Amino acid sequence: MLALDTQKEIAQLLSRYPIKRNALLPILHVVQKGNEGYLTPELLEEVAGICEVSQTHVEGVISFYTMYKLEKPGKFHLQVCTCVPCCLVGGEELLEHVEQQLDTHAGHTADDGVFSVEEVECLGACSYAPAVIINEDYHEQMNPEKLDRLMDELRTQGQAHA
Amino acid sequence: MLEETLILFRNIRNPDYDKSLKGYKKAGGLKALKQALEMQPDEIVQLTKDSGLRGRGGAGFPTGLKWSFMAKDTGKPTYLVCNADESEPGTCKDRELMLHDPHQFLEGMMISCLAIGCRHGYIYVRGEYWPSIKSLNAALQELYDDGILGKKLLGKGPKLDLTVHPGAGAYICGEETALLDSIEGKRGHPRVKPPFPAVSGFNACPTTVNNVETLTCLPFIVNEGAEAFKAFGPENNAGPHLISLSGHVNKPGVYEVRLDANLKDIIYDFGGGIPNGKQLKGVIPGGASSSVLTADEIDVTYSFDALAQAGTMMGSAAIMVFDEDTDVVKLLHRIVRFFSHESCGQCTPCREGTHWARMIIRDFLNGNGNEHKLKRLHRVGGNMMGTTVCALGDACGMPIQSFTTKFADEFRDVQALAA
Amino acid sequence: MDAFPTEIVRFELDGKTIEALPGESILQAAQRTGSEIPHLCYKAGYRPDGNCRACVVEIDGERVLAPSCCRNPKEGMQVNSQSERALHSQKMVVELLLSDMPEQGKSPYTQRSELDIWAEKLGVVQPRFAGRQQPVQDISHPAISVQLDACIQCTRCVRACREVQVNDVIGYANRGDHSTIVFDLNDPLGVSTCVACGECVQACPTGALMPSDNVGLEVSDKTVASSCPYCGVGCLLTYDVKDNRILRVEGREGPANKSRLCVKGRYGFDYVHHPDRLTQPQIRCEGVPKTVELLNPSDFDKVFRPASWEEALEVAASGLKRIRDEQGPQALAGFGCAKGSNEEAYLLQKLVRTGFGNNNIDHCTRLCHASSVVALLEGIGSGAVSNPFTDVEDAEVIMVVGSNTPVNHPVAATFFKNAAQAGKDLILIDPRRIDLARYASYSLQFNPDTDVALFNALMHTIVEEGLCNEEYLAKYTEGFDALKENLKDYSPEGMAKVCGIPAETLREVARRYATAKSSIIFWGMGVSQHIHGTDNARCLIALALMTGQIGRPGTGLHPLRGQNNVQGASDMGLIPMVFPDYKPVGDPTAKHFFEKLWGTTLDPNPGLTVVEITEEIHKRNIKGLYIMGENPAMSDPNLNHTREALARLEHFVIQDIFPTETAGFADVILPTSAFPEKTGTFTNTNRQVQLGRQALEPPGDSRQDWWIIQEMAKRLGLSWNYRGVPDVFEEIRKATPSMAGITWDRLEQDHSVTYPCENEGDPGDPVIFTDGFPTPSGRGKFVPAKFSQAAELPNEEFPYVFITGRQLEHWHTGSMTRRAGVLDAIEPLPIVSVNPSDLGQLGVDAGTTLTVQSRRGKLTAFARGDHGVPEGNVYMSFAYNEAAANLITTDRLDPFGKIPEFKFCAVKLSAGGDPAPRLV
Repeated sequence: MLALDTQKEIAQLLSRYPIKRNALLPILHVVQKGNEGYLTPELLEEVAGICEVSQTHVEGVISFYTMYKLEKPGKFHLQVCTCVPCCLVGGEELLEHVEQQLDTHAGHTADDGVFSVEEVECLGACSYAPAVIINEDYHEQMNPEKLDRLMDELRTQGQAHA
Repeated sequence: MLEETLILFRNIRNPDYDKSLKGYKKAGGLKALKQALEMQPDEIVQLTKDSGLRGRGGAGFPTGLKWSFMAKDTGKPTYLVCNADESEPGTCKDRELMLHDPHQFLEGMMISCLAIGCRHGYIYVRGEYWPSIKSLNAALQELYDDGILGKKLLGKGPKLDLTVHPGAGAYICGEETALLDSIEGKRGHPRVKPPFPAVSGFNACPTTVNNVETLTCLPFIVNEGAEAFKAFGPENNAGPHLISLSGHVNKPGVYEVRLDANLKDIIYDFGGGIPNGKQLKGVIPGGASSSVLTADEIDVTYSFDALAQAGTMMGSAAIMVFDEDTDVVKLLHRIVRFFSHESCGQCTPCREGTHWARMIIRDFLNGNGNEHKLKRLHRVGGNMMGTTVCALGDACGMPIQSFTTKFADEFRDVQALAA
Repeated sequence: MDAFPTEIVRFELDGKTIEALPGESILQAAQRTGSEIPHLCYKAGYRPDGNCRACVVEIDGERVLAPSCCRNPKEGMQVNSQSERALHSQKMVVELLLSDMPEQGKSPYTQRSELDIWAEKLGVVQPRFAGRQQPVQDISHPAISVQLDACIQCTRCVRACREVQVNDVIGYANRGDHSTIVFDLNDPLGVSTCVACGECVQACPTGALMPSDNVGLEVSDKTVASSCPYCGVGCLLTYDVKDNRILRVEGREGPANKSRLCVKGRYGFDYVHHPDRLTQPQIRCEGVPKTVELLNPSDFDKVFRPASWEEALEVAASGLKRIRDEQGPQALAGFGCAKGSNEEAYLLQKLVRTGFGNNNIDHCTRLCHASSVVALLEGIGSGAVSNPFTDVEDAEVIMVVGSNTPVNHPVAATFFKNAAQAGKDLILIDPRRIDLARYASYSLQFNPDTDVALFNALMHTIVEEGLCNEEYLAKYTEGFDALKENLKDYSPEGMAKVCGIPAETLREVARRYATAKSSIIFWGMGVSQHIHGTDNARCLIALALMTGQIGRPGTGLHPLRGQNNVQGASDMGLIPMVFPDYKPVGDPTAKHFFEKLWGTTLDPNPGLTVVEITEEIHKRNIKGLYIMGENPAMSDPNLNHTREALARLEHFVIQDIFPTETAGFADVILPTSAFPEKTGTFTNTNRQVQLGRQALEPPGDSRQDWWIIQEMAKRLGLSWNYRGVPDVFEEIRKATPSMAGITWDRLEQDHSVTYPCENEGDPGDPVIFTDGFPTPSGRGKFVPAKFSQAAELPNEEFPYVFITGRQLEHWHTGSMTRRAGVLDAIEPLPIVSVNPSDLGQLGVDAGTTLTVQSRRGKLTAFARGDHGVPEGNVYMSFAYNEAAANLITTDRLDPFGKIPEFKFCAVKLSAGGDPAPRLV
């Protein structure tokens, strides 16, 4: 069952579109956010019902877009861009650095679920490359030292919350 | 020394600018909307046509003309969908507008809704742009709270609602028909055209899709007139233009230019030249899908027409600069990897072609290239062009063809190195 | 968009001027005029998707190549499909796809890979790209195997599943070179919600989806164009035959199915090859008593002995003759079967009427739409449908009452879903929430048994709100005042509580139905199988008459006929009160006509109906029975009573393909031919007379039904001499004026002809009642109906309502489908469906056993939770001999249609119990 807040948000979203299916993407975002950043088969079935689409339609959609997750991400999810502009100015090296620091590979969760790392294509911050998104926030013109400092802060934060 | 023109960035470049509705009004905002409300929709369309405004999303199609294609009297609602799915590698200009001056853009959107009789407009923002989404939603809330949007535009006009629709991570949704499928709640598959969106777009209703920067030009056009807009830039390349400069330059950033600037000047004046005293090797002048220019080819006017003449394109005005140390085989691999990752997977030449192209380039990177494969790569690239449902095939084919032609020797060097 | 072309367009293709018909794409025009353009994702009848790009052509003046499947030509357009650029692109597409085939070449799963065919034609031999990692085979489903290594992502299966059959199981997931076909939420096919219609298999061009038994690589000896033996939809199909065995079945373009089939039609054919097939006549061994117990097949040889045809026919006929001669004609009766052909039905009723000398001939129509037919004959003078179901395309509102169409008429349901997807309003009226509800604008889950209250409330609204079609009322109807008077007591507000539907919903539905440009009503057994079944149907007829929603395309009344030939068997007079063409047996003109045609005197008294015959047998008034194909020991209500009756017969002859539950009671069993082993005509629910053609030789010494009936007739003293089925058909044309215009030759050529077709060359009328009705006054008659309740209401001891019906995979008594490998594998066990909350209250876990008991009988089956079944109700199909639902049902009859109340009786439920042993 979806949380009451999530249901309210969904109702609000549905009211903004001519047909329920139109709200599928934003609803998936809301549901994912309400479930620690990932979607489960049960949630997908529920969303299919809400948007009056088939399960297979939902499957087609969530697998098409990169932002929907079927596995629980870390508390802080890092998206490191290695697309052309970022790559020109050190995006790949930044990713390698993060992987080393966390002793993991892109696509995995590390540090007891505090961080997860993902290598991504262009994030649209090309003039401020290299860019990293952590959860919903952009961090730009990054370099290994800046990122280390940031992650240290987040780690402390994450542990404090845990 | 090349200098910025300040029209779209007028507020943004003002360090004291307050981007709230109050601040925007104080800076003279919403005057154009009020004026537009007094105009007939056809008048706004005509004014836009007269201004020579061309789409800033990449294709450069005349905006007024696009509006005039909208099917009339269909008994269906009419939609304006703003394409804020900025995802062509190298491009980050719309984000500036949405983050730092959302009201100017929204005013443009409202004017455009009036022009085409849209009562509910959608802004499709790429999913990663949460900060932009938040910025827009906050601005929209102000507009609703102020009674500007809602049942009566500005309290006296027609009903108008605007909704921000987040994408979810798919480059292809920047293609307008894929964007429409996506906003309908589907996979973002580009549609076979015809029919065009002006006849059958969002939920099969007449729809226009316009880019953020395009719409942001509207307040200026309404306020200052078509001629004033046209006066910026050369014939057929009217109006101010935002360019995203990235890669090996000292001062990357988003700059507002007239389209009579020289590409070289943009790189050296705005960009401050190549860092560390390196030599320039090449420039990708209009987003990842444009044909590459070598260092010898950059003395060219940065405009739709001049770049087309130079065998490339202005696209989304994203200039990516790379220096002498850059491994172009690796660079092309990055570009093709991008398109392969972003292919929607619907049509064969693109789905399979981007994959094979990537595989062949990887062979070169692994030292397994040969003359035969270079030729095949060139042909696979060529075969994607003009045969796919949407332009992604061309987008991937152009860099492949231009890199393998202009930097063929470097592909051979990789071989030699491996051998 | 290009305006939809309405006239012929001339354009140039490869230098040759050709014409495109309105709406044709470049590809279609090319195909029709004999030019070939490669294509993979295009399939005739499907929405063109333009994704494979194998069909790209160069159009003068256009920069990019165009997919010829998606492009309508324009006048004067210059199209080149063979320019260097076009050919190069076409070849590259084939090469890219071929390189990913297993072993980089031919599809290892089918002989008919379209990719292989085009590769050969285009001369693409060895792909130059290395293949990549491919998914593993999925063999989780009994009917369909999935080998996506042969998939070319053409999405024909996706369109098949989502746009054609609208089952919404197959999807397209991931993107780019990871794009893949998925089922539901990326589930194995066998655990997905797939209903195994097989449309995707038929659509797949490369063998990525195939029947599960590797038949794709076998080459057939012959293909035979025929039709489907199961339901009244009447799908046309093709049998692929090798060594007298059916390899596979494919849908064929037919007016009722447009190449579609369902799981039974496509995968339910191997019953014909089942070892249980009777291959030799059998005679009951002397002295073996008949008891109410069903015969265990393992004991078959202890009860019956094989005999020659000569002996068996002699024993069979002489027994009947003796009873007729010694005890009078009324001591004999016959049951025909709606699975048999028109010719078989015609011969059997003729045999009973002329050989037995009475009208005691009936068949399973009595158990399905007898009440509907009575109401229709009474109200509008004809028992057949007014419009074909494919008319939903022209309808604005489609009302479906008491019909779980996706289960019982699966292919018809696909057209309903297509219509709903095209924006038409689907209104469902059914106590159960059925799968169609997903596509419906309204789904009225009303209280069982309150049909008349609901329909009267709808009509009340129409009258009260002035929504009647006054012009139509005046011109074409009679008796409206009495109806109006009756409706006064049925306001929606008053009836809301009775039927459990809010008054405002009732009003909305009434308005929508009445005011739409065209509204059509479909109904099934949920309407007819009540003791007020005739009243239920009367209401639906009145609804159509008062609004004038009849007599035009997209309107009308369509009782969805159950069996493949229940329409035909009824037309042929396989019912006790009428001769062929519904001529009453008591009508002197009709009697005279048939006496002349058949050269004998006829009994002017209507005969007895199915359940009445059983009752008379029970009372020992009827002593001899001849059955062709029916299985009353499973299909009739109150089975303990029915079986008792069967055991009391002095002489009982049955002809069938299997030793059915009923056959165990017989004295003589005559082995006959299965559907694919004979030729004949069959009339579907749309009044389309269609040919079933012989594809196989019958096994052993089994014979054709028409031959057996004729041999029986001869031995009963009749001088019949039909040389074959066409001879019989010729006589039918004489006996049935509405079919007089249909010739055997035309059937051979056209496969399907709609009646009425009175004169040779008539096209046949799909829509009837366009100008009044075939009643004495020419007007449709209103017959008011009062709300009345079921024969047996729940009480404290028997608190649940027991509803019987069918299920997708099993046909009626299961004699065919439980012997069909795939169907039996999908649904092997008797299932009783109960609302999960009731299951919870009973303390029964889904999948465990549940015992159902009524005042008449008891059974144990496996519980299945079904949210569609309302609380307090239980649903079960009657296909399982180890848990025969009709042990429970009541044999109380509708007074007009004489149909039993299969849809309502009171039961109690208890957890646990041991199911009886399965006897198939």
